[in-house]
Amino acid sequence: MKESVVAYTLSKCVKCMKCIRACPVSAISMENNRIIVNHERCTNCGKCIEACHNQGLVAQGSTLVDIANYDYTVCLVPPALSSVCQSRENAEDLFNAVKLLGFDEVIDLSPYYAKVLQESMAYRPVQKPAIVSMCPVINRLVKTKYQILIDHLIPMNYPAETAAREIREAYAARGNVGIFNLCECPSRLSHAKYPYGNTGSEIDHALSIADIFPMIRTNLGKGRIPVTFCRDGFAAMDAAMLSEHDKVLAADGYDKVENVLDLAEFGRLKEFDLLYLFPCFNGCSGGQLLIGNSYLNHLNLQKLVRESSAETKQIDDRYLWRDGFMAEEDQRSFTEKMSFFSKVNEVLEQLPGYDCSACGMRTCRIMAEEIVNGNRSLGDCHILNSGTREETK
Amino acid sequence: MTVLLHEEFVVTRGDYKNAGSVSSAIKDKLRTIGIDAKILRRISIACYEAEINMLIHAWGGLITMDVSDDGTVRFVFKDPGPGIPDLDDAMTPGFSTASDDAREMGFGAGMGLPNIRKVSDDFDIQSSPEGTTITLGFHL
Repeated sequence: MKESVVAYTLSKCVKCMKCIRACPVSAISMENNRIIVNHERCTNCGKCIEACHNQGLVAQGSTLVDIANYDYTVCLVPPALSSVCQSRENAEDLFNAVKLLGFDEVIDLSPYYAKVLQESMAYRPVQKPAIVSMCPVINRLVKTKYQILIDHLIPMNYPAETAAREIREAYAARGNVGIFNLCECPSRLSHAKYPYGNTGSEIDHALSIADIFPMIRTNLGKGRIPVTFCRDGFAAMDAAMLSEHDKVLAADGYDKVENVLDLAEFGRLKEFDLLYLFPCFNGCSGGQLLIGNSYLNHLNLQKLVRESSAETKQIDDRYLWRDGFMAEEDQRSFTEKMSFFSKVNEVLEQLPGYDCSACGMRTCRIMAEEIVNGNRSLGDCHILNSGTREETK
Repeated sequence: MTVLLHEEFVVTRGDYKNAGSVSSAIKDKLRTIGIDAKILRRISIACYEAEINMLIHAWGGLITMDVSDDGTVRFVFKDPGPGIPDLDDAMTPGFSTASDDAREMGFGAGMGLPNIRKVSDDFDIQSSPEGTTITLGFHL
């Protein structure tokens, strides 16, 4: 059973069902007045958390208490966090403030993001266009919905994972090393906590920036740690900057990303070498757990790029690459699939088709599937019960 | 052999804004059934190319899809004309009669029909000034 970091608090839930309607993959439903997240379907995009106005659904990260359990602690800082800073000086102040939380070392991830960009550019795919696998949501979306494109995904670790693997080996002599990762979005938080890949993650604890930022803030203005940002590292998380490359199609925003994946499935995007896709609007600087406005963060990013270095870091291939992605296969026979589909269609014809979610399911189709599975009955449909449908007919 | 699912879709001539929407609907439907991704890839490409052909070359048309219990998916793409003057030319990779506005939209590379034939298991095309009918079969 896969797990996700989307955590539910019953006492805070007002049963508005906004999360159910917000979920692009119909992973949320309501049963006995409780929200249920189907973790098999969930892509950790965080749309439900965004839609929840009452903190009933939140992205649950680790806490700093765990620092005490290690001999030596390292904190990985994503370039997205630097995008809340207006200058490099501010960023150096921020890095110091992060270290003062109790870490022995703070490591900037921009060289690892840059590496993903450079290696992706040089990648010769079996199937064009290759899809950059830097975002866990994209990987998950391709694996579950756009399975046609699964062999288009570049088998590369996420930047934080690459860094963690490298650090784990390099710091082996330092005793029990704790690797913490500050995360800008629920999907990265989720990857570190419950990795999807073929192997486990080397990241020990994933921290939500939204949770930790108040504490970082109290440490600001107490000094600086020199940081040399890697320019490509910022470009690697920003669709606008990536669009300067001819053979790259970069898109941000969940709907746009789905449009692009749809076209790629039709074989229409073969003229591009790379698809660089960000489900978050404004790329990673639009990460849901980040502080501040994503447009302002985006502007900051452009300033930081001017103050960063073009130099890149050598990273060993064994940290960077991973095994290929495997599709999750449907074990049912063709006859079983068709029989289920026909039964669902029969039920669907009796349902109103408003997709109102009042029953607790996102769409009438999902409801019909639940009815066929025996988990619900037609009597659970509020529209049918009220007789509204007859009047409108 | 019994038909388990029969669906019809209308394609409107020159409706570039919705180009691919029928293929998307077909793809979604087959994905919901749980058709294997490798076959779905070929079906998606064929449907898209055929739909675009109807949109830019023909006066629209009708697409029918039949899923049968013997594990075949059959498509018929039927348009009301004006027909393909030379089928051999049309089946030659790179040959195109697409208008400039279609090319500007990124269509009309002359790979449509050759691609459709390449990805389908069964392929048949009949054309006269009264219309063109393409029949495709895929074995699941």
